[in-house]
Amino acid sequence: MEAGGIPVMRLKDIKRHYVMGPTTVRALDGVSMDVDKGEFVSIIGPSGSGKSSLMNIIGCLDTPTDGTYRINGESVEGLSRNRLADIRNREIGFIFQSFNLLPRLDALANVELPLIYAGLAKRERREKAADLLEKVGLGGRGHHLPAELSGGQRQRVAIARALAGNPSVLLADEPTGALDQKTGAEILAMFAELHAEGATIILVTHDPGIARSADRVVRILDGLVVADGPAGEAA
Amino acid sequence: MKTRVFGESVGMALRSIRGSAARSFLTTLGVLIGAASLIALTALGNGASLAVEESLKSLGSNLLIVYSGQPRGTALVRRNTSNIVPTLTAEDLEAIAALDLVAVTSPESSASAQAKFENRNSSVTVVGTDSKYPAVRNHYPAAGEFFGEAEVDSRRMVAALGSKAAVDLLGTEVDPIGAKIRLNGLPFTVVAVMESKGNDMTDAQVWVPISSFLRSVSGGTKYAALNVQAVDMGLMREAQAAIEAELLRLHKLPSMDAADFYVANQLDVLGAAQGTAGTFTLLLGGIAAISLVVGGIGIMNIMLVSVTERTREIGVRMALGAKPGNVLVQFLVEAVVLSVSGGLLGIAAGVAAAWAFSRFGGMAASVSPGSIALAFLFSLATGLFFGGYPAFRASRLDPIEALRYE
Ligand SMILES: Nc1ncnc2c1ncn2[C@@H]1O[C@H](COP(=O)(O)OP(=O)(O)OP(=O)(O)O)[C@@H](O)[C@H]1O
Ligand SMILES: [Mg+2]
Repeated sequence: MEAGGIPVMRLKDIKRHYVMGPTTVRALDGVSMDVDKGEFVSIIGPSGSGKSSLMNIIGCLDTPTDGTYRINGESVEGLSRNRLADIRNREIGFIFQSFNLLPRLDALANVELPLIYAGLAKRERREKAADLLEKVGLGGRGHHLPAELSGGQRQRVAIARALAGNPSVLLADEPTGALDQKTGAEILAMFAELHAEGATIILVTHDPGIARSADRVVRILDGLVVADGPAGEAA
Repeated sequence: MKTRVFGESVGMALRSIRGSAARSFLTTLGVLIGAASLIALTALGNGASLAVEESLKSLGSNLLIVYSGQPRGTALVRRNTSNIVPTLTAEDLEAIAALDLVAVTSPESSASAQAKFENRNSSVTVVGTDSKYPAVRNHYPAAGEFFGEAEVDSRRMVAALGSKAAVDLLGTEVDPIGAKIRLNGLPFTVVAVMESKGNDMTDAQVWVPISSFLRSVSGGTKYAALNVQAVDMGLMREAQAAIEAELLRLHKLPSMDAADFYVANQLDVLGAAQGTAGTFTLLLGGIAAISLVVGGIGIMNIMLVSVTERTREIGVRMALGAKPGNVLVQFLVEAVVLSVSGGLLGIAAGVAAAWAFSRFGGMAASVSPGSIALAFLFSLATGLFFGGYPAFRASRLDPIEALRYE
């Protein structure tokens, strides 16, 4: 699958329309783009331009109204809820603006979650989760609840969780939106590091400064791609 | 892999329940009370049924009673023979005694009478019978000797007192044997005091020879009832049929529909009494089952609240790869863990309550293993049934909608 140049994700003329009574909101109105293995892409655009709608479709949380979407060559059209869950589990690592850690589980247990649904045994999960926490610099905080961690630390736990299933792509929707500048910069440095290790990353932001830390910037406006190119040009 | 995810669900359920211990306990209270009342109430019902069986056994074994007249509503229950118009004769008694399936017989008629000793008065039921009464009814003297055939034949004015009648009439100071009492003004000499049957009605009776009874107390020549002991427990029905045939012949009657007598079979009496106790048990069980259902509705309510509160958690789990089935199992297991722990606590409480009833409440209570199994299964089923809908709702949630839920 890696050979032959099949892109990790290929979107073709993706539309996502929300029918709200008499009016239709065209959140996405024909988006086409490929993301190759190892790319670090940022998606930028003003509020309401359709960035989150696009991420939901890329992450298989939502299905497009029209258009085709392939992950590693497999079309997601018409897949069952169970198959989509599998894809989210194996191919996608989500990182949310609001972290979305489960408040009653400690850091280790949060990182273990995707591994539970992947069917790993308890010991394997524990080891892997502990390694990942170590990797994001939270080696000693495994038994802390989310409420006992700072915002930056919580987002690190979320990154460790997103990495747990060895996904094909990391999806981060405004990952620094809830953090101060310094902590945000640390998280971005972590993305750069992951990218250097070969991870494929798609990062949504409305901050051009942040967008520039990616190799490639895709600019979205009113549900359409208006620019797509190396960071220097598009941002 | 499936079982691993399932085991994980149990762990998650336990953590979530521990996370809101007070609310979880209150939720299980309904099922707890339901299971406890199921155990305790059926224990009381069982106890009552065993007590009936016990007291009927003390009536005498293999006992059939031939009553004068037609059976009434409560025909099967032992009747007071004082209000019966007697239709049974000495010839009937002799003919029945001669049947192959009959071991022993004794006649019985009774009337209420005024008993007097010195200046003490009391109302008693006087029963006329013969010397075979103790053997037929399994009721023997505790002191003295029951009157024999000779006393019956010669219409002797002797009496055997029930244990309570003896105390009521003579007190505890006087030696009852040989005491002179009066029944409706007629002098009788006490020859025996009977052992207690643990039944006030029987223990307050006074027995006299049937011959003396017919001449001095009631008048007439017929008996109100005949006590019959069949030769074998297994031949009670056959013995009953033989008695009915014989009496129909002697009374020149075509069928039992026209009969001026009927036979109460101890088995029927036992059956009827057990049936009553069984209905009682069923009724109590029903009440308990209703409270289990109410408990189940409580669980459903709290699970629906829980699913709503945790919508975002469900969204996160789905984003991380939870399938609808995983979410369903997680919430179902949580409901079942709640209801089963309520059920187990309830079983313990019910067993304790039954023990307390019999220990301190003087009630017969007997916990049956069946009711424990039933309470357990009921609480399990309650969790599955009432947890099913909330869990299904959780599993059908749309991942993004759930993630966006505030
Ligand atoms: N569930 C929905 N129902 C109806 N309209 C929706 C829904 N989700 C999004 N929209 C609309 O689609 C458009 C795109 O929304 P989207 O959330 O993708 O924007 P965004 O680029 O992520 O904005 P922001 O930077 O503020 O997060 C908006 O006009 C929004 O109102
Ligand atoms: Mg958005």
